[in-house]
Amino acid sequence: MIKRYAALIRNAWLVDLQYRASIVLWLLWGVTEPAIALGIWWAIAGDGSVAGYARADFARYFFAVMLINQLTIAWDSWYLDRWIREGELNYRLARPLHPAHEAVAENIAYKARTASVILVVWLVVAVAWPAVRLPFDPGRWAVTAVAVLLAAAMRFFISFTTGLLAFWTTRATAIMDLHAGVSLFLAGRIAPLALLPPAVAGVAGVLWFRSMLAFPVDVLTGAVHGTDAIVRGLAAQLVWLGVWVGAYRLAWIRGLRRYGAVGG
Amino acid sequence: MSSIVTAEQVSKTFQVKVRDPGLRGALRALFRPRYRDVHAVRDVTFRIDPGEIVAFLGPNGAGKTTTLKMLAGLLYPTSGRVEAAGFVPWSGGPSFKRRIALVLGNRQQLVWDLPPEETFLLNRAIYDIPAGEYRERLAELVTLLELGDVLQKPVRQLSLGERMKCELVASLLHRPPLLFLDEPTLGLDVTAQEAIRRFLIEYRERHGATVLLTSHYMQDVTALASRVLMINRGRLLYDGALEVLVARIARTKRIELVLGGGGGGGDDGNRVTAEALATFGEVKSFRFPNAVLEVRREDAPATSARLLAAFPVADLSIEDPPIEDVIRLAFARGVEENA
Repeated sequence: MIKRYAALIRNAWLVDLQYRASIVLWLLWGVTEPAIALGIWWAIAGDGSVAGYARADFARYFFAVMLINQLTIAWDSWYLDRWIREGELNYRLARPLHPAHEAVAENIAYKARTASVILVVWLVVAVAWPAVRLPFDPGRWAVTAVAVLLAAAMRFFISFTTGLLAFWTTRATAIMDLHAGVSLFLAGRIAPLALLPPAVAGVAGVLWFRSMLAFPVDVLTGAVHGTDAIVRGLAAQLVWLGVWVGAYRLAWIRGLRRYGAVGG
Repeated sequence: MSSIVTAEQVSKTFQVKVRDPGLRGALRALFRPRYRDVHAVRDVTFRIDPGEIVAFLGPNGAGKTTTLKMLAGLLYPTSGRVEAAGFVPWSGGPSFKRRIALVLGNRQQLVWDLPPEETFLLNRAIYDIPAGEYRERLAELVTLLELGDVLQKPVRQLSLGERMKCELVASLLHRPPLLFLDEPTLGLDVTAQEAIRRFLIEYRERHGATVLLTSHYMQDVTALASRVLMINRGRLLYDGALEVLVARIARTKRIELVLGGGGGGGDDGNRVTAEALATFGEVKSFRFPNAVLEVRREDAPATSARLLAAFPVADLSIEDPPIEDVIRLAFARGVEENA
C-alpha cells in the first residue's frame, strides 16, 4: 500500500507542477481569508481587547487558522461529484484499489505542499514580528498534531460523503458550499468561537464544527489548556470522526448499490 | 473447456424518472415523481470460452454497454446470474479486478496533464507488477502498438488514436486474461482503427486473452470477432459466427453509384431514371447523381458490370448494408438461434 500511495502522491505533485500559477492562486486564497479577518479584528481590538483577545492574540489565532485550515481542508466532494456525474468513477471501480485511497493521497499531496509554504511564511514573519511567535512547547505541538490529524480525517470524510450524494442528486457541491458557508462562522474561520454569541458557540461545540478547525487552533495557541479541556476536545473529535466515518460507509455502500442499479 | 464468462437469463431493468415538459412538469416531478421501467437487457443467456474474441453488436441503446458493465462488475443484474473469470463480478472484489481490464472508448484513465508513462507507473503500483515484468510488458505493448516516442509527451498533446493505444497499454500491463472493450475504436480515423484491430488480434494470439468488445463499426466486428452476440432492445437476437449471420440476414448488397454525364438527362437513350435503375435491382434512393441499389449478394458483381455498361458512372462501390439495417432485418424476421 505504501508503494501505491507513493505513486499516487508522486502523480499528484507532477500534475501540480503543470499548474504552478493556479497553485499560487489557491495559496493566496488560503492566506487572504484569515488575513482579512485578522485585519478587521486588529482594528476592532485597538489597544484594548475583545473577549480577552488582544491584537497579538488575534495575530496568533489567525496565523494558526491559516496553517491548520490548509492542513485539514478537503476538496473531495468536488472531485467525487465529477467522477460520478461524468462516469470517471467507472474505471476507478474496475481497478483493485478503493477510489478513497486516491482521494486520501491527493489530500496528503495538497496538504504537504500548501502547509509547508504557509509554515515557512509563518516562520519568516515570526522573525520580524514577535506577536505571532508561539512559546516553545513540544508537548502542546504533539497534541496539536493529533488534533489536526483527527480534524483532517473528519473533514475528509465530510467532504467525501457529501460528494457521494452525487449518486442521488446533482446538487452535491451546493450542499458542500452550504456547509463551507456555515463553517465560516461555526468552525472559527472568521472569528475565535469565544467571540461568538454563547448560543452560537454552543451549537458549534455540540456539532462537529469546533472539532473541524477551532479546537486544534485553540490547542496550538494555548486558548485551550488543561488536561480536562484537551481530553474533552479530543474525545469530541473522535466521536464526530466516528459519526462521519459511519455516514461515509452508509453513503458508499448504498450509493454504489444505486450506481450499480441505475448506471453512471 | 470451462467457460470464462457465463450469463444465465440475465436481465437489467432501470427505473427512469418521467418528467413532463415545462415548469408544471418539473414541479409535478418534484413532488410526485413517476417512474418508468426501462428494460435495458432482457433474459440474455450466453457462454464464452477462454481465448474467444466476441463482439456485441447492436445499435445505440441496444444494451451492449449495459451487458458489458454487468460482466465487469459496475452494474449488477436485476435478475439472472453472471460469472466472469471465476467470480460473480459485482462482489468479486480486488481479486476479480486483477483478472479483468475495462477500456471505455469515451472515458480515459490516463492522467490528462502528464505523459502516459506516469499513468503506467501508477498502474504498476496499483496492480503490484514487479519491475522486471513491468519493463518487459511495457516494451512488448509499445512495440505491438507502435507507440515509440509518444510515452514522454503529455496526454493532452496526443492524438485520439495515440491516446486509445495508451489506454490499452495502461489496461493491459497487469496482463488480465479477460478484456472488456467498450467502443475501443470510437471516433478514431481508419488507420488508427486498423492499428488497434491488428494489435488486439496479435495480443490474443500471444497471450490467449479473452476479448469482449462492443462496437457499432462493422469493420471492427468483421476483422476481430469469430463470434457475434447481436443485441437489440435488450434481447439477444443471434449468437454465432458473423458470416453465417450476414449470409442469412443480409442476403443483399448495396451498390452505391455516382452517375456521370450531364445533369441527369440526355436524349441519347440512356437517360437515367428510377425506372431504368429499377431493372437492375431495388432502388433504395435516387437523387441525381447519387443512387443506391440493393441487389442479391451473389448478383452484385455481375449487376455492377452491367450498370457500368449501361450508364455513365463516375463512381461505384459495393457495400454490405449498414449494420443497423442488418439488425433491423434480423429483428423484424427474428433470427432463430443455433445457426
